[in-house]
Amino acid sequence: MDENEILTEPKQYIVVKLDQEQYGIDISFIDNIVRMQRITRVPKVQSFFPGVINLRGEIIPVMSLRNRFGLEDKEYTNATRMIILKPENGAKIGVLVDEVREVVTLGEDSIEKATRDEQGMNLLGIGKYKDTLISLLNIQEIIQELDNA
Amino acid sequence: MDLSQYLEMFIDETKEHLQNLNDQVLVLEAEPDNIDTINEIFRAAHSLKGMAGTMGFKRMQRLTHDMENVFSKIREGKMSVTPDLVDIVFKCLDAIEEYLDCIINTSDEGENDNEEIIRMLNACLESDGAAPAEKPAEPEKAEQAEAPAQTSGAGDDKKKFLHIEIADFEKNAISEAKAKNLNVYGATVYVDENCILKAARAFLVFKGIEGIGEVIKSVPGVQDIEDERFDLDFSMLIISDKDIEQVKKVIADVSEIKEVVIENYEVPADAEVVSSVRETDNKSQKKKEDTKKTSTTKANAKPVANRSVRVDIEKLDVLMNLVSELIIAKNGLVSVSNSNRSDDNRADNKAATQSFNEQIEYLERVTTNLHESVMKVRMVPIESVVSRFPRMIRDLSKKLGKEMELIMTGEETELDRTVIDEIGDPLMHMLRNSADHGLESTIDRLKIGKPQVGTIQLNAYQDGNNVTIEVIDDGGGIDVEKVKQSAIKKGHITEEQAEMLSEKEAIDLLFRPAFSTAEKISDVSGRGVGLDVVKNKIEGLGGDVEVSTKLGEGTKFTVRLPLTLAIIQALMVEIREEKYAIPLNSIVTIEDILVSDIKYVQQKEVINLRGTVIPIVRLDEVLDCPPRDEDEENLVVVIVKKGDKQTGLVIDNLLGQQEIVIKPLGKYINIPKIISGATILGDGGVALIIDSNSLV
Repeated sequence: MDENEILTEPKQYIVVKLDQEQYGIDISFIDNIVRMQRITRVPKVQSFFPGVINLRGEIIPVMSLRNRFGLEDKEYTNATRMIILKPENGAKIGVLVDEVREVVTLGEDSIEKATRDEQGMNLLGIGKYKDTLISLLNIQEIIQELDNA
Repeated sequence: MDLSQYLEMFIDETKEHLQNLNDQVLVLEAEPDNIDTINEIFRAAHSLKGMAGTMGFKRMQRLTHDMENVFSKIREGKMSVTPDLVDIVFKCLDAIEEYLDCIINTSDEGENDNEEIIRMLNACLESDGAAPAEKPAEPEKAEQAEAPAQTSGAGDDKKKFLHIEIADFEKNAISEAKAKNLNVYGATVYVDENCILKAARAFLVFKGIEGIGEVIKSVPGVQDIEDERFDLDFSMLIISDKDIEQVKKVIADVSEIKEVVIENYEVPADAEVVSSVRETDNKSQKKKEDTKKTSTTKANAKPVANRSVRVDIEKLDVLMNLVSELIIAKNGLVSVSNSNRSDDNRADNKAATQSFNEQIEYLERVTTNLHESVMKVRMVPIESVVSRFPRMIRDLSKKLGKEMELIMTGEETELDRTVIDEIGDPLMHMLRNSADHGLESTIDRLKIGKPQVGTIQLNAYQDGNNVTIEVIDDGGGIDVEKVKQSAIKKGHITEEQAEMLSEKEAIDLLFRPAFSTAEKISDVSGRGVGLDVVKNKIEGLGGDVEVSTKLGEGTKFTVRLPLTLAIIQALMVEIREEKYAIPLNSIVTIEDILVSDIKYVQQKEVINLRGTVIPIVRLDEVLDCPPRDEDEENLVVVIVKKGDKQTGLVIDNLLGQQEIVIKPLGKYINIPKIISGATILGDGGVALIIDSNSLV
């Protein structure tokens, strides 16, 4: 029920790519998208944290979405981007993605709810846009898991 | 009425009054005849009562009211201050504090009526008051008696509006109004004496009248009334088309208005005005005397109170952030200029380089000043923490049955707000420790010929970039042998180890966690209650604690705290490709050593540096850096200390000293203990700060 209500209004998502798969991130969580910059390694942290960056005087941890989803490392390219997420009442966190594609607007009717299996992967559901499928990330949950860890 | 917006103010002011009361009652205990103190207490109690009343905290109001009664009597000389009374007053203050805590947590005063205390207060009032005078009426009754007298004997001096001096144009306005068949009234409004927001009430009166007519003149002037520069009454001339009862009702409907005297107004003859003004001066003076006393002294007392600005800490943090960015910008310039200098030797560039350097120097000066001033805004005198200690020592003295006094110096010493907030508990712990275990009992002191009253000193002073706080007692000191015995008994150390321990190391045993929790240590020499907690807290603030003691003469605890936590001097080092910062204050020396000089003790690497054996830590291993391609013959070792223990940290390269801004590493990421934070370098990169304390 709750989820129904959340999804009643069409929402904008930023579509990012990891390998060939497309993921959508709710635009309301996004603070900023920046180009790749030097990451300072921090020893002995969770394996999916390559390190921290300096974003205009603020130090922000950067998480690799690839590592988080169990994909292996890939070399950073010109298309690599850091998406700075700013959850409500939370601190900023950077997320590394292979590429940022576009912004799409998805209504409730074009989203298929996540199955149990997909929930394990922190997905809200699958969005259909034109001919492609977009896995919509449950950012809240992804960040909450970090908080609890 | 919604008072929630005033709640914060109420809480702050009540706290201030309570602290003031505590201080003053302590003074009173020492000098029972000090009339200034008695007045001060009376005033504070009176304000508290008024404030509690306005906010609707009836129980608190009642308690403070009874307290005020007692002091009102003392003030009139009808009662004297006895130790018992002081005890009751302290209990009373504690009860008020309880109310306040309750209000802070639930915005309600709670259910405790404190009947006991009120009964005791009233008992004192009766027993002591009856003796000297023939049962004087309670002040409240006197007030009530005065009130009817005022109304019934409402002579001309009640109608103060009659004495308003009016100028020609006002006269014209009045006659014009009369010509238009409008009513002209003179009115004097008396505000309830417990009213706190007099100006606000007066404002409501004016606003009410504006709805039905016009105020052509008021005494005192509107501005003065707004600024609350009036006693308990103000007079005005009103033009209105409504009848007199309606106008009176509008005024009287405003709450906390005690009385309204109103009637039709005729312009008086000039001579009459002048004479009657004089008359009022005399008459009203007498009548006002009582109220004036409070209000004028209040006015006097205001500047004495600490003029403080309460600044939202968040705003300060923003300011702080800006300053840190400035420093970062400066660092950037510095690094550019360094690279320029190396590859530019031509003459025409020389001048440019010079002015560039001047700019940097200027920027450096500005940032340093800015940093300093912002730090100062964050600084709070330590007084705000220590002011509650005299009371605590007094209570401890009674409880333990030992005579003692607390001498405090340097209360004005300032510390960063974040430090101040944390330092209270450790200091309290140490004082309690000194009072409970440090000082001998009064009988013992007399036996060994020490002054009967034990002394505890709390000294605070600034010392370079540190603030030092000392807690000194002239008690029995720490018996090192007994500490050792106890440590052996509890299994902290073996007997062989005990023999090896220096006196200092033995005393350090007191800071071991289990030492304090183990049964009662007081029979050893009395130290060790929660000292580990004290130590942890202070080290957490970047400071340290030291103890020195002389058996039979006393003990001295020295706490050193950094002035600021946000910006520090650090040594920048390189390990492989990565840059790290090591806080300068923990560095002893930097040494070049040969790999062949490294010896092994229990499979751990150590070096022998001028006779001292120092363990070494290879930072690249601790920090998971990639291994070096080939072994070098020379190693750069930074020797760091924690207390008097030293450790050598092996690094690759020295980069130099720099002022760095400490930044948190952000949430979500599980930072290891050896990293205490990060800083931003001149080139925009991030360098991690190594917490050398965790490695020693």
